[in-house]
Amino acid sequence: MKLTHRLFIMAGILMLMFTGCEKVIDLELDNAKPLVVIDAGVSDQVENQIVRVSRTYSFTEPNKFNGVEGAKVVLTGAGSNPITYTEISPGVYRSTRFRGRPGINYTLNVTVDDVTYTASSIMPAKVVLDSLSFRDFSFFGETNTYVAANFIDPKGIQNQYRYIMKLKDKLEEDEVSDDRFNDGNNVSNVIFFELGDLVAGDVVEVEFQCIDRNVYTYFYSLNRNSGGGGPPVAPSNPPSNFNNGALGIFSAYTSNKRMAVIQ
Amino acid sequence: MVKSFLFLPGHDVDMLFTIRFIGILFFVIAGFQVSLAQGKFIINGVVTDSATGETLIGASIKLTGKSTSGSVSNSYGFYSLSTDPGSYELSVSFVGYKTVKQPIDVNKDVRINFVLEEDNRLNEVVISAVKRNENVSSPQMGLQKVNVREINNIPVLLGERDVLKTLQLLPGIKSAGEGNSGFYVRGGSTDQNLILLDEAPVYNASHLLGFFSTFNSDAIKDLSVYKGGMPAQYGGRLASVLDIKMNDGNRKGFTAEGGIGLISSRLKVEGPIVKDKGSFMISARRTYLDAFLKLSSDSSINSNTLFFYDVNAKANYQIDDKNTLFLSGYFGRDKLGISDSFGFNWGNATVTMRWNHLYSNRLFSNTSLIYSNYNYVIQNLMEENNFEVNSAIKDFNIKQDFEYSISNSHNLKFGINAIHHTIDPGNLTSTAASSVNETDYENRNGLELAAYISDEWTVNEKMNVVYGLRLSSFSLLGPGNFKTYDADGNTINTTPYGSGRFVKNYFNPEPRISVSYQLTGSSSIKTAYTRNVQNIHLMSNSTSTSPTDLYIMNSNNVKPEIADQFAAGYFRNFNDDNYEFSAELYYKWMQNQIEYRSGTDLRGNGNVEADLLYGDGRAYGIELFIKKRFGKFNGWVGYTLSRTERNFDAISEGQWFYAKQDRTHDLSVVGIYKASARWTFSSVFVYNTGNAVTYPSGKYQINGRTAFYYSEKNGYRTPEYHRLDVSATLEGKPNKKFYSSWSFGIYNLYNRQNAFSIDFKDDPDDASKTQVVRTTLFGIIPSVTWNFKF
Repeated sequence: MKLTHRLFIMAGILMLMFTGCEKVIDLELDNAKPLVVIDAGVSDQVENQIVRVSRTYSFTEPNKFNGVEGAKVVLTGAGSNPITYTEISPGVYRSTRFRGRPGINYTLNVTVDDVTYTASSIMPAKVVLDSLSFRDFSFFGETNTYVAANFIDPKGIQNQYRYIMKLKDKLEEDEVSDDRFNDGNNVSNVIFFELGDLVAGDVVEVEFQCIDRNVYTYFYSLNRNSGGGGPPVAPSNPPSNFNNGALGIFSAYTSNKRMAVIQ
Repeated sequence: MVKSFLFLPGHDVDMLFTIRFIGILFFVIAGFQVSLAQGKFIINGVVTDSATGETLIGASIKLTGKSTSGSVSNSYGFYSLSTDPGSYELSVSFVGYKTVKQPIDVNKDVRINFVLEEDNRLNEVVISAVKRNENVSSPQMGLQKVNVREINNIPVLLGERDVLKTLQLLPGIKSAGEGNSGFYVRGGSTDQNLILLDEAPVYNASHLLGFFSTFNSDAIKDLSVYKGGMPAQYGGRLASVLDIKMNDGNRKGFTAEGGIGLISSRLKVEGPIVKDKGSFMISARRTYLDAFLKLSSDSSINSNTLFFYDVNAKANYQIDDKNTLFLSGYFGRDKLGISDSFGFNWGNATVTMRWNHLYSNRLFSNTSLIYSNYNYVIQNLMEENNFEVNSAIKDFNIKQDFEYSISNSHNLKFGINAIHHTIDPGNLTSTAASSVNETDYENRNGLELAAYISDEWTVNEKMNVVYGLRLSSFSLLGPGNFKTYDADGNTINTTPYGSGRFVKNYFNPEPRISVSYQLTGSSSIKTAYTRNVQNIHLMSNSTSTSPTDLYIMNSNNVKPEIADQFAAGYFRNFNDDNYEFSAELYYKWMQNQIEYRSGTDLRGNGNVEADLLYGDGRAYGIELFIKKRFGKFNGWVGYTLSRTERNFDAISEGQWFYAKQDRTHDLSVVGIYKASARWTFSSVFVYNTGNAVTYPSGKYQINGRTAFYYSEKNGYRTPEYHRLDVSATLEGKPNKKFYSSWSFGIYNLYNRQNAFSIDFKDDPDDASKTQVVRTTLFGIIPSVTWNFKF
């Protein structure tokens, strides 16, 4: 369905052919009271699971990870005992090595300045990413190459997927889809990032995650704010699964990576 | 249907009530008939144009003698007056035409048809009141009329004449965006405008994603917009009524006219079917943006499609003095396609069949059968993801309207209306090789019934009152599975209903009253109260409307939107009606307004109602309007100071927030100068405060990528908007056989970089920084159009 939105862009381009132009401008923006942001996940891989705790900061400051030190991070659901995370750098908290299991409801408690923010996420059943393939699309005389993720969607179950694409080790695209239109089918989902001119040896990596519904809604909404997936929307904070007004998301997910090397 | 009334308990009483009301209505009318004062006579007839035979809407008919009475010709050019026997002078006037006067001895009922000659000496401006001081004397307020034949002179984007964009230059009517034909009226959203084309509702009134309206001005005869004080015969939308009537066609002879512009061409042909008895009109327009694509030798460019077309057609036939038939239709479509991979098209079709009948000298009747359809088709032709989506909204509509002249102080309008709506939210089909599953989302059916009665009462020389009542009901009909959700959007229950069963009924009385009091011959004060109800709602979660926006009906969860509007105004003409001034104040309270939860996805969402939030709205403001109506130089200034807010428990912690269409100041200045017999110059200046909008008040990172924090909904303003357009029209030499003219225009003369959108993103050259990017759609744009007529 996403492809149809390209048509809007096309119509836009035609209108822009007249005189449309873009310019970087200065805009006075408020500096809101900082809020706690939690970016957390539990995967089905045996690894140190990571929780990032930060605060919002002014729009005009350089981009950074505004880490919050001294938070207490505790995960329940993995075995009989809660797992307490340790801080390895400002705002970055790490668990001992373990793997999450599908079907388990994980609960994460993050305490900052005596306020505890809680979120839960159920790890979905795993779907395997079979392969990646390259696809060419022509768009007004310009041909571009995209990567597509190929997998078989399990029938009769509502699935949500997240695609994290890196090109030459740089994170370029983070998007989500669900199986509302293709439940139970062989799916080839094109990731709409223009790969540009690739040379032999360039690596495209896609991490394919199965995520729960709330996580899907969060990332869908986050991407819509930045103009992904269709005509622009009135932006709003994506719905977090944390309580007490924290921003961010806690996702229990299965993970699968595939790489394609340009020959 | 009667059976289901009996079996379904509770709210069906409302439906019965509506039907009873209709019964009572007829009873009341019958009563009037009996109690009529004896000894009065009726004068009636039709007013037409001498050259074309087109009926004239809104001509003023005045009877002076031992008593004075007046009337205005209706949508079909018909008028009716009632008076005591005696000697009178009857005069008929219409702006832009020579006034006709004729002495008359009234001693029996008489039918007099008037044929008016165009008066070229007058140079009336675009927006015309029906008679010179109609704007002061009529109790109607919140009404603006646009004289379509004369909008040619106003500068427009790319030279495409557009009645909807001209409307946006009037106070209280705001553009929905740069170059956009969508509009906001007194704090309403774009879907709260009732747009009628020959009585048929037009669901999507724009082409090419909003840049052009579906109304080809060649085919339009009359256009009225009601911002408030809607007469009781109109209903179904909250904010405004835009009533557009198509040309009937020339009854005297064949003519053709057209124009060639930068992006489209138009042609209209009209003529008699039987001379002086019937006529037809066909008008068509097509854009040729895609022709430029064809110029490319690159197959990935020249195989793309992008165009729209419109066809308006109408025919009428007058059987005898008492019966006239009309058939009119509109068909328009936009088509976009990228070579052999995608296709997307959408459009409206409307058909209206009407029968005018005179039951007696006093009772005029019009019966209409109306069909209206809006649909879109999306095709993805790529092998493994092949699919096609078809979505539509269809109306079958039957209307019976009566106009009844009781006496020269009471004029009654009453009628009934039934509309059956079908909404097909989407039917997804695909080929066997495709990964897309075929899905047919459940259709929804609804029935709207309405009955109305209103009386225009001339209390005395100074005071006029129009009061009336509209009763409307909406019934959601089976078949289908109907869900009820709690406040968090969780399903409480799902109930299946069979075909034709009543799922949910809503009933609303809509009182309407307008009062005018004439202070002097040239000034008056007016006040009005109006309640409007809306049962069909457009869901759009993008910042602009799109052809794929979803229509929904009232349901177990969605309640009818209700607006109560109070308005008061001062109206004054001076310098022998050469200048017109009005000041109107309004306050509007809106209930059951709809917003979405964050992250709502409208595509293929069978549970969209689970994601809706309901709240209230309020809008208030003052509109000032001054116009110079005649002379070589004419034009107007319109200014609106207003506030539009919404209140939802789940948004901004239940605090009032600005609606996106909130703009504090809105100014339009229009000037037209007729320099010589052949040259006309004109100019438009607009200024408005930016819309309320949500911008970030901070940022953070998720998975290493920048995300923005929004602290307040619509807490910011887009940059202020202003623009100056100019145009010049060169009329051809008067020539009986062939006439042509040139229009030259410049849009945005001083190349103001108005913001179409403001985007926030990481600097592509320096990932450590974020930047604000303003996109401007239209800088300075020249245009030229050639028009002809023969």
